[in-house]
Amino acid sequence: MKIVISILLFSFGFLGNIVAQVPAPAPKQTKKILLMNGTAHLGDGKVIENSAIAFENGKFTIVSDATVIRLDVSKFDTVISVSGKHIYPGFIAPNSRLGLVEIDAVKATRDQNEIGEMNPNIRSIIAYNTDSKITPTVRFNGILMAQITPQGGLISGSSSIVQLDAWNWEDALIKEDDGIHLNWPKMFNQTGWWAEPGEFKKNEKYKDFTQKIDVFFTEALAYSKTEPQEKNLKYEAMKKVFSGERTLYIHSDYVKELQEAINFVRKFNLKKVAIVGGYDSWMLADQIKENNISVMLRRVHDLPVRPEDDVNLPYKMPKILLDAGVMICLENSGDMEAMGTRNLPFYAGTAAAYGLSKEEALKLITLNTATILGINDNYGSIQTGKSATFFVSDGDALNMTTNNVVLAYIDGRMIELTNHQLQLYEKFKSK
Amino acid sequence: MFKKYIFFFTLSVFSFAVSAQTTFPVNGVHDNNHNYSAFKNATIFLDGDRKIENATMLIKDGKVVQIGNSVAIPKNTVVYDLTGKYIYPAFIDLYSDYGLPSSKKPKKGNEENHPNVKKEESKKGAYGWNPAIHPEFKAQSKFNINSKESEELRKIGFGAVLTHYQDGIARGTASLVSLDDESNNLSLLKGNAAAWYSFKKGKSQEDYPSSLMGSIALLRQTYYDAKWYQSNLADEYNISLDAFNSIQSLPQFFDATDYLTVLRADKVGDEFGKQYFFKGNGDEYKRILDIKNTNGKFIIPVNYPKAFDVEDPYDALLISLEDMKHWELSPTNASVLYNHQIEFSFTSEGLENKKDFLKNIKKAIENGLPANVAINALTKIPAQFINAQDKVGTLDDGKLANFIITSDSLFADECKIYENWVVGKRMVVEDYTLPDITGNYSLNIDGKVFKLTVKGKEPSYKAFVKTETDSTKHNVNLKRDGDLISLSFNIKEDLYRLSGNIATKSAIWHGMGQVSEGDWVKWSTIKSIEKIEEKKEEKTDSTKKSMGAVWYPNMAYGLDTSSVNPPTLIKNIKVWTNEKEGILESTDILLYKGKIHQIGKDIIAPEGTVIIDGKGKQLTPGIIDEHSHIAISRGVNEGSQSISAEVSIADVVNPDDVNIYRQLAGGVTAAQLLHGSANPIGGQSALVKLRWGRSTEEMKIKGADGFIKFALGENVKRSNWGSGDRFPQTRMGVEQVYYDAFTRAKEYQKEWAAYKKLTPKQLKKNPVPAPRKDLELDVLVEILEAKRFITCHSYVQSEINMLMHVADSMGFKVNTFTHILEGYKVADKMKAHGVAGSTFSDWWAYKFEVNDAIPYNAALMNEKGIVVAINSDDAEMGRRLNQEAAKAVKYGNVSEEDALKMVTLNPAKMLHLDSMMGSIKVGKDADVVIWSGHPLSIYSKVEKTFIDGICYYDAEKNEIINKQIQAERIRLINKMIEAKKNGEATQSAKPNKKPHYHCDGYEIDEDY
Repeated sequence: MKIVISILLFSFGFLGNIVAQVPAPAPKQTKKILLMNGTAHLGDGKVIENSAIAFENGKFTIVSDATVIRLDVSKFDTVISVSGKHIYPGFIAPNSRLGLVEIDAVKATRDQNEIGEMNPNIRSIIAYNTDSKITPTVRFNGILMAQITPQGGLISGSSSIVQLDAWNWEDALIKEDDGIHLNWPKMFNQTGWWAEPGEFKKNEKYKDFTQKIDVFFTEALAYSKTEPQEKNLKYEAMKKVFSGERTLYIHSDYVKELQEAINFVRKFNLKKVAIVGGYDSWMLADQIKENNISVMLRRVHDLPVRPEDDVNLPYKMPKILLDAGVMICLENSGDMEAMGTRNLPFYAGTAAAYGLSKEEALKLITLNTATILGINDNYGSIQTGKSATFFVSDGDALNMTTNNVVLAYIDGRMIELTNHQLQLYEKFKSK
Repeated sequence: MFKKYIFFFTLSVFSFAVSAQTTFPVNGVHDNNHNYSAFKNATIFLDGDRKIENATMLIKDGKVVQIGNSVAIPKNTVVYDLTGKYIYPAFIDLYSDYGLPSSKKPKKGNEENHPNVKKEESKKGAYGWNPAIHPEFKAQSKFNINSKESEELRKIGFGAVLTHYQDGIARGTASLVSLDDESNNLSLLKGNAAAWYSFKKGKSQEDYPSSLMGSIALLRQTYYDAKWYQSNLADEYNISLDAFNSIQSLPQFFDATDYLTVLRADKVGDEFGKQYFFKGNGDEYKRILDIKNTNGKFIIPVNYPKAFDVEDPYDALLISLEDMKHWELSPTNASVLYNHQIEFSFTSEGLENKKDFLKNIKKAIENGLPANVAINALTKIPAQFINAQDKVGTLDDGKLANFIITSDSLFADECKIYENWVVGKRMVVEDYTLPDITGNYSLNIDGKVFKLTVKGKEPSYKAFVKTETDSTKHNVNLKRDGDLISLSFNIKEDLYRLSGNIATKSAIWHGMGQVSEGDWVKWSTIKSIEKIEEKKEEKTDSTKKSMGAVWYPNMAYGLDTSSVNPPTLIKNIKVWTNEKEGILESTDILLYKGKIHQIGKDIIAPEGTVIIDGKGKQLTPGIIDEHSHIAISRGVNEGSQSISAEVSIADVVNPDDVNIYRQLAGGVTAAQLLHGSANPIGGQSALVKLRWGRSTEEMKIKGADGFIKFALGENVKRSNWGSGDRFPQTRMGVEQVYYDAFTRAKEYQKEWAAYKKLTPKQLKKNPVPAPRKDLELDVLVEILEAKRFITCHSYVQSEINMLMHVADSMGFKVNTFTHILEGYKVADKMKAHGVAGSTFSDWWAYKFEVNDAIPYNAALMNEKGIVVAINSDDAEMGRRLNQEAAKAVKYGNVSEEDALKMVTLNPAKMLHLDSMMGSIKVGKDADVVIWSGHPLSIYSKVEKTFIDGICYYDAEKNEIINKQIQAERIRLINKMIEAKKNGEATQSAKPNKKPHYHCDGYEIDEDY
């Protein structure tokens, strides 16, 4: 029995369910679903203006131009017309504290920053709260996956990649412990506090810190070559960094620090490395490419760091780096981080306003991100055989006025788009 | 006749000296000296403008008796022959704390050494309430000679200083003291010579004031309090206010940390009829016309910044263009002041090495300051500033014998200060009677002949010997003590140790020495005739090279000329009017004389009009940010008290914040610069247009209503920081703060009303004191009288309702709830109260009280008919407010026109500026933005931003400016590298980032 459904049903479908603040995860896909006539932005740079997209058992089975493919609609349980709408692979938010921090100012709700300098053994995933009230508001704008990342210290710990519709963290996992996060020391520190920032001071401990990192990696490397009787959890956690099974994410921005970080990568012959932040990375583009390093570029919606930097430099940065041939994706850490994750699509939009095509910009929050995170075999683009993790928006999802997600699927499961904020909206609308 | 007169005069000095006996008992025989000293054959500068060649100066008893070409020399005269030498009046430094307690903040646990400003001490005495106000401090009562400091100052030419305790806001009086070391009583030339002020709180342990605007308010209030106290009607005795009044007749000096502080202080001074002398920071050139308009006179430092190490381009990245330009231009500061006929004196304050003082003044001369002006700035002018020209500053008959003897004219390259005479007492800096011993000698040691070469100068010489046969140089350890000399050196195994005497004007030395074997031998030297030719490296004179222009502001994106204002016609553009006309397709709009002059089709432009093709582009009113904290100096919060209505952001607007330009690039034309949210009643706002490059006063919107920040919730209760001892700590307490404040305000209002009713006749018959003017209560009364309007930081519904209740019952209105993240819950009540809502588009979850914040807030309030704005509170978001407005379309389906109004017309309404701005209407200010496309689209960019018809941001021009900035940096980098090659001291690079404020951000410090 086939059902042709108008999309309108779905967009208002969630009104009935306003009991739970955080909606229940969707059940496994059991039906064969076909989406017809939508504009599919595949995430790899290509667009199918009039598409036919089918998926079953959580995987895309057909990704095609509807005008060239012959389809027997009777073979599908559900056929949805998405004519005039846009289909996107689920957006991915890397380097995120989503689910680790609920309310920034309430210490009891902050689980992103463990004490200690070297914490490679710390694992973000076990603190990831699938019932965070923030997550549904993020999905609402098309972000369906995230890299849950610890912060602080020199080595913060290991991140894991999750999809955003799960009963618990085990359920949520896409890739466990995908990489270790190293905060390259800063040569200069700002004094003062958040409400009254002060002058910059030279970080007298910079050399100490870089040496500490060097020593730690040297020891961990030596340790990794044997099976010691007494296990050292910190060194154990490092083994897969040396083998290339885990990515080393180096958080750094200033060109001199970046240069030292690259030298460090060379010294330890590290195979999988990504720079996170990378404000000055355009200056070292050649070395970054030579060493197969990718860049998770810091928030596009940011002020220039230096007073003389071009006022639009942060907006132009994606174009500059792509032109230099660097593999990049966009990240969102900083002020208003977890709740601001939902603005990730608009960073890509700005990148498009400042020199990229929309499809190139889209890659920076889909396929490129998946590639850098090492999940591109199954996520990041709309492609036959890959996970059916995608959404349908009324209009251009990179633009504020047109981003309106009406359908979203994670591994073929149609997820609820309602959230705490929408519920409050409905409640008080009727006051 | 003339001579007779002189004679009489000297006699009178003499008799005075005899009678000027000391009050101190003498232990031993009296040892007074009333001899004359005469300085002959010198070139004497009486001041910068009067020079007598080949003159004689006669002094006695510490005073100048006579100066001239024919001075009769009495018999009891010690005569000094100064042939070829120069005499100048000794210098005067007006900014000094010589001989006084240090004003540096003590380390914890070490609290002695600060006189009567300790918290507990100020509580003990009958002083004023705030320890930063200590006008009762008298420098003379704490002054103690400090020989080490005085010697350092004398060495660089100073003879007297105006010393004051450099702590606090009202600092008390300064004393003019001479720099001799004899006795405190003799050093004090003028006990109360001046009064000093600043905006720096200093060592006071009191929390208030914590911000610059707090300091300004406190000084203002002190003037009012003092006036009230003077009317002698106070019930209290207040030492501080009493002292404050008693020092008003003295010259009033203000210690300013930068040129902006000068302008701010001058404004306060003007309010109370005071003209300050300013101790500047050396950056006055940055806005010289404003500085000129203060009518102030200046004390300026010469501590020019060092060049940076910029050879490494990565290091150079860290250095701001602002710092680079200041490095280049700071030595021009004095000549810029001179060129604008601003009187100034020099201070040695701030120099890392005091010896650089004259060297740096020379730099000012190289940069165009006339030498005579420089001399006067060191001598005559400072004396005049403190009305001490009868004693010091020039060398005239009867004045103190404070002078220096130099080797050459003061600013000549090799000029040395030989002696510094303070009140007739000789202080030798370098003994000019010591013969020069540098040169080549033939050294004969017991028949062996060596060639000896001596270089360097007293007291460190470099010397070497060569044998007659060998050209190898052997270093000689040469020590000279007056006429005694010793030499020691090795030639291979042989050790020579010689000691002896310098005779015959240094040409011949002789003595005895011991050689390796221990034998005593005779030695002698004879000077060779030839001179040592020292090759002087030609220094490239960097000053002759072109100087960069001052930019306004003097930093990246500053303008080098003032912006022009031609009529501008934008043709065939899509116009979002925000009026009943809605959106007009392909329309012409003429901006003329700062206003929107005409809107329509085929407008004919006046001559000289700039014509812009608007085809395919869209035009909106300029964006107005209802809630901004950019362009503010030294603190947005005066959070030390729960009410700080007396402070005002308008006092601390900083036109030199690059974020002004960045906001323009986002189409923002006006903003309310708000006080922070640390207290229930914060400070007054400044309403500005972002007129980049203009001064503080020019940025302010003329005729705008006054606004004030209130705040509720977590910040006010200090949930996330603070010691927990400032009331209130709960929302319950916040309500009581308001009731208490407005209850007091009403009583105050009544008191004044009653007083003002009294006729002059009644007052004469029955004198009633005027009530004390209280700046805080004045502002609250303004609120009650609907002359000032509230913008209240607010989050949760309970407190929002509370404030509306307070307002209703106390008889005032809340104008705007800002943030108002739960406004959607109480929109009906807000509507009833008539309050506007200015909210974030989508911020939430950053603290507990914003857990119910929803992005639909704007839409819901809008639906209820509330005037809704979307604000930034953040310099980053501020430049994308069009996008934040676009979110109101996304969340809650607000129409696009309504959404645009949320960042244009609606904030204009909230700020009572909608008659001037916020829509495209003939007669309104020409504050408009040209967008490349739909103004709410993420893909649109600002192409041009106009304020008052002037294009302040132009995207195309911005690309050119970026290149100009690069070129200017490279020019300065080259210049710094050259300066370093020429031996200038440098400093290592470090970033110079200005703080960005939020009233409400919360970030965990994770920086390593």
